[in-house]
Amino acid sequence: MSTVTQPHAPSPATAPHDPRAPHDQAVPQRSMSLSTFLSTYVFSKDHKVIGLQFLFSTLVWFLIGGLLALAVRWQVAWPWSDVPVLGKLFAQQGGQMAPEFYTMLFTMHATVMIFLVIIPILAGAFGNFLIPLMIGADDMAFPTLNMLSYWFMWPAFFFFGVSFFVEGGAAAGGWTSYPPLSTSTVSAPGSGMGQTLWLLGLTMVGVSSMLGSVNYMTTIILMRAPGMTMFRLPMTIWAMFITAILQAFALPVLTAAGFMQLTDRLIGTGFFSPEGNIINNAMSGAGGGQPILWQHLFWFYSHPAVYIMILPAMGMVSDILTTFARKPLFGYRPMVYSIAGIAGLGFIVWGHHMFISGMNPALGITFMVATMMIALPSAVKTFNWLGTIWGGRIHYTTAMLFAISFVSMFIIGGLSGIFMAATPVDIFIHDTYFIVAHFHYVLFAGTAMGVWAGIYYWFPKMFGRTMNEFWGKVHFFLTFTFLNGTFFTMHILGAVGFPRRLADAYHYETFHHLQPLNAFMTWCAIGMVTSQIVFAINFFWSMFRGPIAGRNPWNANTLEWTAPSPPGHGNFDFQPVVYRGPYEYSVPGCEKDYLMQTDPPHPAEAAAAAAAHA
Amino acid sequence: MDQDKRDRDAGSGGNPPGDSWVNGLPQGRRWSGIAWSLLFLLVPVLGTATFVIAPYYNHWFPKDVSVHGRSIDDLFYFILVLTGVIFLATELILFWFMWKYDAAASSKPATYIHGSHALEVVWTIIPAATMLFLAIYQMNTWADIKMRRPRMSPSAEVVARQFEWRIRYPGRDETLGTPDDLFIVNDLHVPVDEDFLIQLKSMDVLHSFFLPNLRMKQDAVPGMKQPVWFKATETGTYDIVCAEVCGWGHYKMKGRVTIESRADFDRWLARIEAEQKATQRGPDEIPIAAAD
Amino acid sequence: MNASAPSIPHGHDDRDAHGHDDHGGGHGHIVLQYQPGLPLSKGKLIMWLFLSTEIMFFAALLGSYVVLRFGAAVWPKPHHVHLSEPIGAFNTFVLICSSVTIVLALEAAKANKVSMAKNWMIATLLLGSLFLGIKGYEYSAKFSHGIYPSQPHSRIYEKPDLYYGSAVRARLDELRKVPLGLVPAGLREAADSSAEAGGTVDLLKRLDEAPAEKLSAEQQTGRGRLQKVQKMLTNPGQQPFDLAVVADQIMPLPSEGTGSHGGHASGLNDAFPWLRLPAVIPGGNMWASTYFLLTGFHAIHVAVGLLVFAILLTYRLDRKRAGMIENAGLYWHFVDLVWIFLFPLLYLF
Ligand code: HEA
Ligand code: HEA
Ligand code: CUA
Ligand SMILES: [Cu+2]
Repeated sequence: MSTVTQPHAPSPATAPHDPRAPHDQAVPQRSMSLSTFLSTYVFSKDHKVIGLQFLFSTLVWFLIGGLLALAVRWQVAWPWSDVPVLGKLFAQQGGQMAPEFYTMLFTMHATVMIFLVIIPILAGAFGNFLIPLMIGADDMAFPTLNMLSYWFMWPAFFFFGVSFFVEGGAAAGGWTSYPPLSTSTVSAPGSGMGQTLWLLGLTMVGVSSMLGSVNYMTTIILMRAPGMTMFRLPMTIWAMFITAILQAFALPVLTAAGFMQLTDRLIGTGFFSPEGNIINNAMSGAGGGQPILWQHLFWFYSHPAVYIMILPAMGMVSDILTTFARKPLFGYRPMVYSIAGIAGLGFIVWGHHMFISGMNPALGITFMVATMMIALPSAVKTFNWLGTIWGGRIHYTTAMLFAISFVSMFIIGGLSGIFMAATPVDIFIHDTYFIVAHFHYVLFAGTAMGVWAGIYYWFPKMFGRTMNEFWGKVHFFLTFTFLNGTFFTMHILGAVGFPRRLADAYHYETFHHLQPLNAFMTWCAIGMVTSQIVFAINFFWSMFRGPIAGRNPWNANTLEWTAPSPPGHGNFDFQPVVYRGPYEYSVPGCEKDYLMQTDPPHPAEAAAAAAAHA
Repeated sequence: MDQDKRDRDAGSGGNPPGDSWVNGLPQGRRWSGIAWSLLFLLVPVLGTATFVIAPYYNHWFPKDVSVHGRSIDDLFYFILVLTGVIFLATELILFWFMWKYDAAASSKPATYIHGSHALEVVWTIIPAATMLFLAIYQMNTWADIKMRRPRMSPSAEVVARQFEWRIRYPGRDETLGTPDDLFIVNDLHVPVDEDFLIQLKSMDVLHSFFLPNLRMKQDAVPGMKQPVWFKATETGTYDIVCAEVCGWGHYKMKGRVTIESRADFDRWLARIEAEQKATQRGPDEIPIAAAD
Repeated sequence: MNASAPSIPHGHDDRDAHGHDDHGGGHGHIVLQYQPGLPLSKGKLIMWLFLSTEIMFFAALLGSYVVLRFGAAVWPKPHHVHLSEPIGAFNTFVLICSSVTIVLALEAAKANKVSMAKNWMIATLLLGSLFLGIKGYEYSAKFSHGIYPSQPHSRIYEKPDLYYGSAVRARLDELRKVPLGLVPAGLREAADSSAEAGGTVDLLKRLDEAPAEKLSAEQQTGRGRLQKVQKMLTNPGQQPFDLAVVADQIMPLPSEGTGSHGGHASGLNDAFPWLRLPAVIPGGNMWASTYFLLTGFHAIHVAVGLLVFAILLTYRLDRKRAGMIENAGLYWHFVDLVWIFLFPLLYLF
């Protein structure tokens, strides 16, 4: 192939501030026929449109998940008191929720957040939007497949959405859906139609992710711009790549398990029901199965899935930190290897969710050791992030604040993982709010903050306009403050042993004094959700009224910033050729403090490299 | 002036007017760098404060009344100190870097460095050694609690069921499953200072037998028999909590465990026996999980 | 004009043949070039990746099978559940043959021998269908023995306990429910073969009430055994042992030594298939669940493969289609490979 010997295009980076950098290509024609409209905005095969479709859908579900969380919090703080607003929407008894309604609430809260928000916003929205742009491709390898991966989300939206309104309500077995509670249709109200819909929805999300992941891998392997070797990929792409691998290898297991649970429910195969099980005075199906088998299959997927839910955020945060610290990423290769390490180890630690499930305690020890080891790649990442901002020139943009808070919060969430990894300690804190604190720190305080960092950072590329910085910072401040108020205190609840998934724990002598603390947390949660109004307004206002951004508003290095904002169909209006890694900031002797990947070789670079070797 | 710049300078978006521009990115103001780093300083400060204050308001471990509970708590404190040190160190470093390397604080260019092999090795090896130590250090406790089962016949059987704990004592012959077994619901009695071995079962779905004060938790799995053992050290009455979601009534699946002296325990057992004889309740009337 | 104007003229491109499958290039944007990654086409790479997800899918199913099987107290031997190794082996052979023919189809297509490629493709399609046909035959044999993966249909019981006894009694009562006269005379003969509810009732009546000389010798002994079973079931002093005898009369489990088909042909259910009496096969339920799960998902994959072949047959199978045939073949080999695992696991061990 002759690609690398191409005469290089004069890089647009040489004029990144040109205000009239063309966004012409993306400006939609004023008058268009219905079919053009449909093929441009609805059934588009353009990865950017698909990415934005994912973004908008997931943001809407984010709001729904957040409101469900508020309802959960309401009940935990003031059990059996009338629920404002939501009470009128769902519960029957004059606004007061029934205990089975509470079980349904947290099940669907988690389901929505995990399967309809975090996974699709990371892989679906950012993955789609960024992968071709950051590697210098004009689109995904298989645009049609890509479009399908979005449209398979809709049956899932439908199944999960409609399940709220069926007889017995939505699934209520926890997001982990442990049998026999979930397989026996008589065991709980939500174990009826709702649970079946839940399984169907899950399968659809699975199909969507699977279609996406194989496409991403193919694209990243085969469609990088000339000169873009694997070790010149930005961390975001590395993270997306390894996430795709995780999805491809872990998801099918959940799909298989989901089918088994479905047949258990629908025709009574009994894979997960033991012999002679009597639930609600009714004999359950065939029997001879093992309830714990589901847990193994579920966590074999869902543990890697928690890394699916954080690795892309880690990648994005790495990119954002370097941009605003104006410094090369500290330890690029260790960062790559540690992502790979997390992914690899992630496949052998699933048993840490099952220490006291009745699994052989000796097996627990092996899982414990593996879990302890997974702290290592995370440690490498954390220290390298710190190393990245050390000696930098930090610009406190909103994106940067969110990125820094990701690091700060991930440390908290990760460290609480160590308590639970310690088997004896887990005996006491398993299924308490300590766990709830842990995963909200990694998922909300970690990933969601990373997502916001990504939104503020790539918004100019997505819409050609920048978000308002002042209100962005207000949003950051409020979210950051309230989230710590809500979730940090959960560690304390956990230390008392306060159990999760309880509609009302105050009738226990051990827990009844914890109500005021819970009320405080609920107020913080209300504040947190309310603060999102700032974000929503800023988001939509900036889309139409924000200051117009040039191609490269942040003076960043990676390829997407060489394309127009927003990029037109085909992304690049020149052939990108890559000369260096993505993080060449502040090269000594260089007139500007960044060297884009497409900038032609610069003499200062060679000098700096020589100096580094000397 | 072009539209782009004008928009930024107008302050409506972009950056407040008057920022000095270095290398094209707004330099920001010193006070804002100070404010943000202080906000992040609050994380370790308030975080530590929360953990220090909580015990004074009784928001901490419930009283421990078991032998192995001590080692669990000690382990918890050990990890708390370990992670606490890491937490403070990393968060303070983060704060310090934010404070010091604020672009507004100096005009020095950023250090051009791609990493350090030596540092990578150090910060891989040290955590590895720490974690390995922790892994080995705790194994013994785990083995004591979940693996080294006392050699004795079960002192009681607990069968979980939506939504109650059905408890069965072996009676005088000290073997379960005989006609003289004693049946109680939600009311477990345990003699103090003795090994107590429970055989845990479930009739329907998963439950989890959680004794906060005894630092004991074990899932009850239908189709399996789980041994649970402990040695209580103090008398008193405490909660039994169900810690695995088991249906709508999960929240109220509450029991009580009474720890009492051997004499009290025997007296109580005798009373139950007498009551049971009087009401002629045979084992047939209380269905216990069908299969053994 | 700003500096970012495209410098590579449109249409100037020497990209490799697979570079750009999805865009016809007619979109009006420039055609980009890419860093050489793997020496694979996009189609083939994504096929391999897709197959790796499939591997994990079947790995999960097989893993569950292993866990369930070794976690079970008992597991039936293949002949307890009427699995025939020769049939399974033959089916394996059929599938392997089809893997060969698809390779031949690919070779032919590569050599541009269109009609030969087509013939091999048809052969593959037929072999695949034959496999499904045989599988269907095996399924129907299971169903006729009451082996279903789930309770309402399944007539399998794990042990000859009280539940089992009452199930047999219930079935016999059900058979006796409809009086003889209700079955129209014209239908009686037809009922012999149909064995539908009314028909079986009729058959049982006839077996019960017909004078001995009207019955064949076989039917006479059958009647004797049926009466014995009934007496044992209604015996007030019934012992657990009696139920075991009942089970043995209905479907004797072949004992270890007697070779693969030892004795079960002598059960009441075999003599009079229309009786459909519940049978005892220890571990049979979970066996049935896993058997149908594994073979069912495999069969679905076979069916998808056949569909792909059928679609391919609508094209001219020349050199241009070699890539498609190759991908279909990859998939087919994978399906084949899964069966190579399933066959010994299900039939031999
Ligand atoms: C994004 C999601 C995410 C991430 C990244 C993690 C990361 C980790 N998790 Fe977490 N986890 C969840 C999501 C996540 N988890 C969820 C959702 C659940 C609950 C599911 C449910 O039951 O509903 C859960 C539950 C869970 C359990 C089960 C608890 C129980 O139910 O009893 C355990 C037990 O070991 C555990 C451990 C860990 C560990 C060790 C890590 C490690 O990867 C963390 C590593 C990071 C660090 C350690 C911090 C940074 C490192 C340093 C600062 C360096 C120095 C540190 C040391 C030397 C210690 N997690
Ligand atoms: C990604 C995952 C995720 C996220 C983000 C959250 C977010 C939140 N969670 Fe959730 N939670 C889980 C995953 C998550 N949770 C899981 C897995 C469980 C376990 C369930 C189980 O036990 O089965 C759980 C359980 C759980 C419980 C325990 C229930 C129990 O065990 O009884 C509680 C209680 O306080 C809680 C609270 C909250 C709160 C207050 C938030 C808040 O942070 C929510 C804040 C929401 C917002 C801030 C919305 C923002 C909206 C926008 C940004 C949209 C803007 C719109 C446009 C621009 C269009 N959660
Ligand atoms: Cu029993 Cu929860
Ligand atoms: Cu995990």
